[in-house]
Amino acid sequence: MVVYSFYIFDRHTECIYSKSWLPPPTSHDGSAAAAAAAAPPPPTTTTAPHTTASDNNNDAKLIFGTVFSLRNMVRKLGGDDDAFVSFRTAHYKLHYYETASSLRLVMLTDTATPSMRNVLHQIYINLWVEYVVKNPLSPVEHRGGRGVRNELFELGLDQFVRGLM
Amino acid sequence: MASSKASRLGEETRMDKVNAELVVLTYGTIVAQLCKDFDSDYVEVNKQLDKMGYNIGLRLIEDYLAKSNTVRRCANFRETAEMIAKVGFKIFLNITPTITNWTSDGKQFSLVFDENPFADFVELPDDGRAQDELWYSNILCGVLRGALEMVQMQVEAHFISDVLRGNDTTEMRISLIRYIDDELPPEDD
Repeated sequence: MVVYSFYIFDRHTECIYSKSWLPPPTSHDGSAAAAAAAAPPPPTTTTAPHTTASDNNNDAKLIFGTVFSLRNMVRKLGGDDDAFVSFRTAHYKLHYYETASSLRLVMLTDTATPSMRNVLHQIYINLWVEYVVKNPLSPVEHRGGRGVRNELFELGLDQFVRGLM
Repeated sequence: MASSKASRLGEETRMDKVNAELVVLTYGTIVAQLCKDFDSDYVEVNKQLDKMGYNIGLRLIEDYLAKSNTVRRCANFRETAEMIAKVGFKIFLNITPTITNWTSDGKQFSLVFDENPFADFVELPDDGRAQDELWYSNILCGVLRGALEMVQMQVEAHFISDVLRGNDTTEMRISLIRYIDDELPPEDD
């Protein structure tokens, strides 16, 4: 199993955390424009996607738009209790988990990975709640990602995800 | 059926425990200090307690969601009440207040506290006003307001009676004002 990247969106639809486990970008092969148009870019290890800050920001917005629309569509068709779990393309699989407090966790993995719903739930209860919510120095609202990138959370997440791979 | 499920969930959730007297004394100190700071302006003390509770509730809800292992949202406000009383209060204060006095539209109910872990050893100040003005456990109203706001319910909560004031019961009234809609992503330009 390979984990490509991970995003957290808060209830204000803002991306407050993102992390990529892809190797740093190599030389660009001219597909940057095409990749930027796709939502999100195919994260294959051979053509490492660009990782500049603004592109990352854009990716996060596109991902949120996609999962938000999918979730709404799923609820419309399957009732309010229905939840969308993942979708798969030729290159990656996107896993989605939403808490009752409207925190949305998204993880991109390779296509062969089984459901990561449980993994995302574990990240929520063991890392998010313990290290971000219960951190008295971290604000309640994480506008601009404030208070999320603390050492314990970063380390815990990295270890947990690397442990899966 | 839903109600027995809720109580089982409350019973099963394992929580680390702290000494009850530590809680009583800590909370009592906070209230006493507030009374001092605001010169026994009890209306202001109630307000401050509610505000502190609100800020606690905003965070506590995440702990509640993580601990209680609830898989889905409550289908209606009655179910929410069950979960508050039988899971929320059970795991955090180890009490189960009684739900009663529903209005016919299902939007208002009362929680009656047979026991209140905050109020052990407590006597309200004997200045003739505290008995009428101070809601000693008002922090709980704020906690519920904050916690429910995070799960998209705007509520109003206040105490209507308190044994500390000499009433027969301790009763909190909770009314659902509205369900908060999902926030939408900003339009892209």
